[in-house]
Amino acid sequence: MSEPELATPLRQRAARALGDRFLKQALDIATTKFIDLRRDAFGDFPEGEALRDRARAIKEATLQSLDRYVDQLVDNIERLGGHVHYAATADEARAIVLDIARASGARMAVKSKSMATEEIHLNEALEAIGVTPVETDLGEYIIQLAHERPSHIIAPAIHKTKGQVAELFAKELKREVPADPEVLTRIAREELRQKFLQADLGITGANFAVADTGTVVLVTNEGNGRMVTSLPRVHVAVMGVEKLVPSMTDLMVFLAILAKSATGQKLSVYTTLVRGPRRAGELEGPEDFHLVLIDNGRIAQLAGPLREALYCLRCGACLNVCPVYRQIGGHAYGYTYPGPIGILLTAMLNGPRSVKDLAHASSLCGACVDACPVRIDIPRMLIELRKEVAEKGIAPWSERVLFKMLAHVLGSPPLYRLAGPIGRLLQRPFTRGGVIPRLPLFLGEWTRTRDLPAVAPRTFSERWSALALEADHAHTESAR
Amino acid sequence: MSSRTEFVGRIRAEMAKTRGLFPATPAARPPRPTDLADAIRRELAERWPQALDRFRAEFERVGGVFHRVRTSGDVAQIVGDIARERNAHRLITWPADVLGLDVAADLRRHGVETTIMPHQEVVDAERQRLREVIADADLGLTGVDLAVAETGSLVLRSGPGRPRSTSLLPPYHVAVFDRTALVESLEQVGVFLEAWHASPDASAAGAVITFITGPSRTADIELTLTRGVHGPKEVHAIFVEAPIRG
Amino acid sequence: MTASVRASLMITCLGDMFFPEVGVAIVRLLRRLGVAVDFPPGQTCCGLPLFNSGYHDEAAAVARRMIPLFRNSEHVVVPSGSCAWMVKHEYPGLMKDAGLRREADELARRTWELSQFLVRVVRKTRFTSAVKGRITYHDSCHLLRGLHEAETPRTILKDLQGAEFVELPASDECCGFGGSFAVRLPEVSTAILDRKLANVEATGAECLVACDAGCLMQMRGGLSRRGSKVRAVHLAELLTDE
Repeated sequence: MSEPELATPLRQRAARALGDRFLKQALDIATTKFIDLRRDAFGDFPEGEALRDRARAIKEATLQSLDRYVDQLVDNIERLGGHVHYAATADEARAIVLDIARASGARMAVKSKSMATEEIHLNEALEAIGVTPVETDLGEYIIQLAHERPSHIIAPAIHKTKGQVAELFAKELKREVPADPEVLTRIAREELRQKFLQADLGITGANFAVADTGTVVLVTNEGNGRMVTSLPRVHVAVMGVEKLVPSMTDLMVFLAILAKSATGQKLSVYTTLVRGPRRAGELEGPEDFHLVLIDNGRIAQLAGPLREALYCLRCGACLNVCPVYRQIGGHAYGYTYPGPIGILLTAMLNGPRSVKDLAHASSLCGACVDACPVRIDIPRMLIELRKEVAEKGIAPWSERVLFKMLAHVLGSPPLYRLAGPIGRLLQRPFTRGGVIPRLPLFLGEWTRTRDLPAVAPRTFSERWSALALEADHAHTESAR
Repeated sequence: MSSRTEFVGRIRAEMAKTRGLFPATPAARPPRPTDLADAIRRELAERWPQALDRFRAEFERVGGVFHRVRTSGDVAQIVGDIARERNAHRLITWPADVLGLDVAADLRRHGVETTIMPHQEVVDAERQRLREVIADADLGLTGVDLAVAETGSLVLRSGPGRPRSTSLLPPYHVAVFDRTALVESLEQVGVFLEAWHASPDASAAGAVITFITGPSRTADIELTLTRGVHGPKEVHAIFVEAPIRG
Repeated sequence: MTASVRASLMITCLGDMFFPEVGVAIVRLLRRLGVAVDFPPGQTCCGLPLFNSGYHDEAAAVARRMIPLFRNSEHVVVPSGSCAWMVKHEYPGLMKDAGLRREADELARRTWELSQFLVRVVRKTRFTSAVKGRITYHDSCHLLRGLHEAETPRTILKDLQGAEFVELPASDECCGFGGSFAVRLPEVSTAILDRKLANVEATGAECLVACDAGCLMQMRGGLSRRGSKVRAVHLAELLTDE
């Protein structure tokens, strides 16, 4: 299922977010804190830069032999008694999980935080067949109670204040609740503990899968990932096929940089390496283990312009440093994955039409590249998407005409020379003291909040002949 | 739904279209990880005090509580104190042969109700009973496979006698280790992971390996750090100076 | 005086039309430093606005015209980090023809943003400031993260006689310009600008320096609309004789 085109245009969604004072404050506090935490973590870790290069090389090497690594992973998981399923689309992925849920006879599914299951809109589908999905990551739990979508890859409820969370808990759980994160967390612990023990089905994503050993790796701070993979009878992990790494040695390279990039921790509290179902002699663990490998547009990018986006670890570092994300937050992007990397992933999942406007929701400042643990060149791919949007005629014709006209002028010095005089003539009625405070048409978007400099009385080109003479003059002076 | 053949075939087809890729290789793996792991242990037999200092500093930085005792005979006293101070009465523990020390009798003398986890397959009714015991327990006592100085992490393998939830469901987790568990870096952890998985003994790697780096935490509400959201709110590490297994 | 260094000025479209005084200041400054400056005729724009919006064939056509203009230049000096980045990083890739590509590679090697040229080629770092008092500096994104240059503007500004340099908090954050982004999402662009200008005001500086015409246009436009006393200037406008 590719997501439907959104009813409200991006610019209005962004403007609405900008008008939300709570959101602005929450975003400002959170992103600033994440930035500082990340900077400190790498500041204490001189080998970090070299590890980032290694991690990038490992991702690339994995993609270059992805067929082999998938085969290896599948063989290993099957040898351990697990099952692997293959989903070409989000629809297929959902259908697979629903089949497993039906076969398990589960009435409730506990879930640990997973962007992959968000991507395939699993929760609604589970509800439809009578299986209650329970999000157990605190942030996701809040979002689920509020019937919202995550607004950040690793901090899904970043947009909510503690007051808002307390109100929500009071309403949903029908009890008095103070706006204290400590108390709110305790309430969630109590509510969810029973669910962990009751649920027959546990659903997770995966941060990595190690081909060489058939291991699925989950990184969490709360411990819910461990609960979900230990207590229910059935465990289903849903994972994009690009998350493979070849070996345990490779895995350690990623673990050394993932948490530092995400939350500034040296490691997240829990790194859980899961290998198939419960073993004989073990007290706990699922009787059935399933891995669902998802394509959903990823495989086509092995040879596509967004290939590098397949390196993404989903750490969220690029969101925190993005000047646009920091202003508008995750929801305004309108799709599952927000932020700069989210634009690329949205295009990967839903095609270029979905990012007609989103591809331009970036000043191309490049802060994301510097923050990315595997140095994904996001701005370059955003430009590639803009190219695709322009060339496939997805961009509005007025824009295309405007840029072709611009190209024509810039390609012809005689035409370009006329720009100065014509500009001066046109700007005359609008100019006040050397600047232009108000203009019609698209330039009005500029002048609504900013003055525009007027075209100079004489452009540099027009002044050059006089300047050239100055040099001759100076030359004769100094020669004398 | 796609078949494996279709899925991998599609990957192969797309891979064939790529060109101009830069040369890239995965990380170089140790050719004989078991030997290398032994070598690391031998080296650390000399410089374990530095590794322990670093471990302690990092473990405390992530909110862990560090204890140090001379012999394994002193462990029960510390665990008993932890239990008493926290009003924790019910304890679950890995069995003595897995833990390397027998503390159950001493703990019971301290008034701690102690349940030993089984290390063989149990029938479903017993499984269900133990699950309730674990869910009600206040304190979980485990061993440690690796204690990582770089990050202050405890690495635990699951297996017979090593249920996953001993270090997860009770609000207090106490882990006992000695110098033989110490490693310096995540890179060295990688060597041990390679060695465990290369072992002909299929149980060497366990079904689940968990790295525990401090108590369970969340920062999902206004990025305010809160401990003990789903897992333990306190993690204690007891270092035993005299090697536990003699 | 015999000029040992020759440089061609690539004025860029914004510099030509809106900030000619910056170009004039550069020409006079370089001449005083003994650099022989010329201005190859027929310049329009580096093509970055076309490139960044995805019109790559059109950008390539502009680049193909620009490259030969500087064929005989020993050095090319650009007053904008973003345009210098376009020439250095994108021109070669846009050239399909091997000969042109070679020429683009060579041009890339010879192209400098102004502060880089002063510090790394002319090796002149001490100047007297045309503006007295406190000054601060905004890192333009393309200069900082595209050309990895944080150092040369600071080398000059820290050594600037008659002015007191203070670091701008979050100087590495974008000003919100981003070319067409500024009019496609004007509200977001302005919100980013507001944050930048609040940081500028907090420094107490009277003068905000940048090395990019795009950032200057954005920040100057914002400052003047707010009636701020802070002046946004190009580095070249500050540098007078020693």
